[in-house]
Amino acid sequence: MAKTAQEKIDAKAEKKYAKKHKSIYRTTPGDIVFNVINYAVFGVFTFLCIFPFYYLFINTISDNDLVSKGLINFYPRGIQFSNYISLLSINDLGQAFMVTIARTVLGTALMVMASALVGYLVTKQELWHRRLWYRLIVVTMYFNAGIIPTFLNMQMLGLTNTFWVYIIPGIVAPYNIILVKTYIESIPRELEESAEIDGAGPFKVFRQIIWPLCTPILATITIFGAVGHWNSFMDSILYMQSSPQLYTLQHRLYVYLNSTSNLSALMQSGGSSAENALQSLLSGKVVKYTISMVTVLPILLVYPFLQRYFEGGIMLGAVKG
Amino acid sequence: MEKAVDARVSGAQRTKVDWMYYLIRAGVIFSIACLFLPGLNPARISGMISSKLSLFTVGVSYSSLVSQFGRAFRKEWLTYQDVQILYASALVIIVGVVANGANGCMSLGNTRMRKLGTKIGMAGSIVELVGMAGIYAAYLRVCETSNPDKIEPMFPTAYWILLVVFVLVLVLNVAQTGILSRYPSEDKYHMETKFSLFLMLLPFIVLCILFSYLPLWGWRYAFFDYKAGQSLSWDKFVGFKWFTQLFKNAATVRDVINVMKNTLAMSGLGIITSWLPMAFAIFLSEMKSSKFRRFVQTCTTIPNFISWVLVYAIAVCIFSTDGFISSIMVNLGIWDSGKNLLMNNSHTWLQMWGWGTWKGIGWSAIIYIAAISGIDQQLYESARVDGAGRFQRMWHITVPGLMPTFFVLLLMSIANILTNGMDQYLVFENAVNSNSVMVLDLYVYKLGIQDGSIPLSTVIGMLKSIISVILLFGANGFSKLVRGESII
Repeated sequence: MAKTAQEKIDAKAEKKYAKKHKSIYRTTPGDIVFNVINYAVFGVFTFLCIFPFYYLFINTISDNDLVSKGLINFYPRGIQFSNYISLLSINDLGQAFMVTIARTVLGTALMVMASALVGYLVTKQELWHRRLWYRLIVVTMYFNAGIIPTFLNMQMLGLTNTFWVYIIPGIVAPYNIILVKTYIESIPRELEESAEIDGAGPFKVFRQIIWPLCTPILATITIFGAVGHWNSFMDSILYMQSSPQLYTLQHRLYVYLNSTSNLSALMQSGGSSAENALQSLLSGKVVKYTISMVTVLPILLVYPFLQRYFEGGIMLGAVKG
Repeated sequence: MEKAVDARVSGAQRTKVDWMYYLIRAGVIFSIACLFLPGLNPARISGMISSKLSLFTVGVSYSSLVSQFGRAFRKEWLTYQDVQILYASALVIIVGVVANGANGCMSLGNTRMRKLGTKIGMAGSIVELVGMAGIYAAYLRVCETSNPDKIEPMFPTAYWILLVVFVLVLVLNVAQTGILSRYPSEDKYHMETKFSLFLMLLPFIVLCILFSYLPLWGWRYAFFDYKAGQSLSWDKFVGFKWFTQLFKNAATVRDVINVMKNTLAMSGLGIITSWLPMAFAIFLSEMKSSKFRRFVQTCTTIPNFISWVLVYAIAVCIFSTDGFISSIMVNLGIWDSGKNLLMNNSHTWLQMWGWGTWKGIGWSAIIYIAAISGIDQQLYESARVDGAGRFQRMWHITVPGLMPTFFVLLLMSIANILTNGMDQYLVFENAVNSNSVMVLDLYVYKLGIQDGSIPLSTVIGMLKSIISVILLFGANGFSKLVRGESII
């Protein structure tokens, strides 16, 4: 890369400056001590954040005999993946997995579309009583009736013990609406106006101009929404008291973690006797670990790639409208 | 210019006929509400139909309608036909109400659209009345049952209310059609933008009201002697009995004091250590290697995105009887057998705080990291030249730069002092530590859902909500006073 003349001069001046103030930039022994301690502390904390997941993982892929003796602590031995395959024989789990996938996909999609549309509509000056509706929606962030009245409300609306209780209450998400609204307000008005002059109606403007331009913020709220749906288990505990077939994966995991019976019994419901013999080797511990791993894996896999969207979310959250 | 003309024309017409439309819309909104409220179900013509079914459920889900009737069919107290008539009638009413809803929406348009709307509305009203007749027919058939004691034929009051509303809407629609016929129709269907935008927003407003405002109606349970599954009636009205019990009943008072102690202790620990994420960010940004910084950031934010159930799963795999620590200790011969470290009640508050910090600190630090990158680098340069050391630069430049952010977050956490969230405490609760993890949210849940004392838990939840809102506005007012900026 060729440097321009100006850059060369700048670099020279910088060097000269650094030479002149060398004492300021010199690494002192104090700095070294500081750096060592600093790196060590962060290193330890990072290890504490990562190690449990690693420990969980190596215990699910190691030889089950060694695992039950507590010998797998730092590295896997006798690698095998049969634990994951044998999870397939727990019927409840497959059901819970499907329910969780369904609510994550459907719930997130509807929430994102609703947030985008509502966020767009409340930026339109023409909207009848715009401020009133916007406040009506936003104020709900700051109060709630409490868990019992909410529960009784769901019961009154006939949503308890139905799949829809996972989806419908989450469609209007005030915080996400604020994010989208703030974002749309940063888009130049002229883009919208020129489309309107060309005869596009509000919905067409939304679909063809606003929606594509909002992709970054929509990606962010999609990710937050999806993680929220994947992780939620309180609604399952509250509203599914007589519908265990609609439990989410997290709720199933919660139940399994608390069950005192040997979980391997769950696996022996089907399959040949040879399989049963193999499965009886599994202790409840391994089953718990494997289910935990399956539940946490999507987040661990997705997170590093989408980290910037996650971080984008918190930055935008600082700018409230 | 087109808009101005449009507004003038429709404005002139609206003044003459609008009061009638207000009545029609009110009637339509009422009938839509009736569809979903089990208390106002005109189709509950037998005691065997659950009082929790709404008209909408009756018309949409045949299976939930007949769920109670298995025995009645077998013993031939009723025929399938009776119930099918009821089902079909409910479905027909739903169609009628939808048509009238369309009428209500179209009434916001121009005359041409309104004319079409009233036609649809009239048809809808007639359909509704046919459905009501169907329900009546079903009622007559149910009355002829061979076993009235079990079937309990009844005629719901809601039937008359709804019938009156339907007839009223029909009459108004007919009158409206007459009035509208005096006005010339425009060439095109048209609606002012402000109303068409409003109609797009309407479904979401309805959802918002249903799930955020309607629950407030549940606060009425605080004033009744209500047990789960019963219906509410005025003879169970007890006034402020539950409020006084909260302060007079010795057992309740003891519980509440303990719960408040836990709640305030855990929130207090959080507030006292709320500078930790800031310190985390400051020291992290002191690192030269951006790759390592990135790595640390990625790893430490992951725990924030796993649920509390998964945090508990991790706690189990590290601290339980056959977890990591136990197996190390046993293999080294220090312990004879594994110990379940989760089953202890020493320093429970600190333990809970520790898990919360493990989960949240990396994520909370991000906002500070961003704020640090926004601080002017020249400040650091000039401080260096003036001979400021590393800690002096941190203390005199970085910390003041982060103070506004810190202040806002601190105020928010003070406003949320009563809200710990219950997920964490629910999953970590066990027989041993139950007393020390019982925070307000968890207590309300246990009291209401598990013990079934709905009024008392509603009272506590209600007081909590009110105090929280007051705290929030107090914090906001304080922020306005000190910084001249609001935090909400």
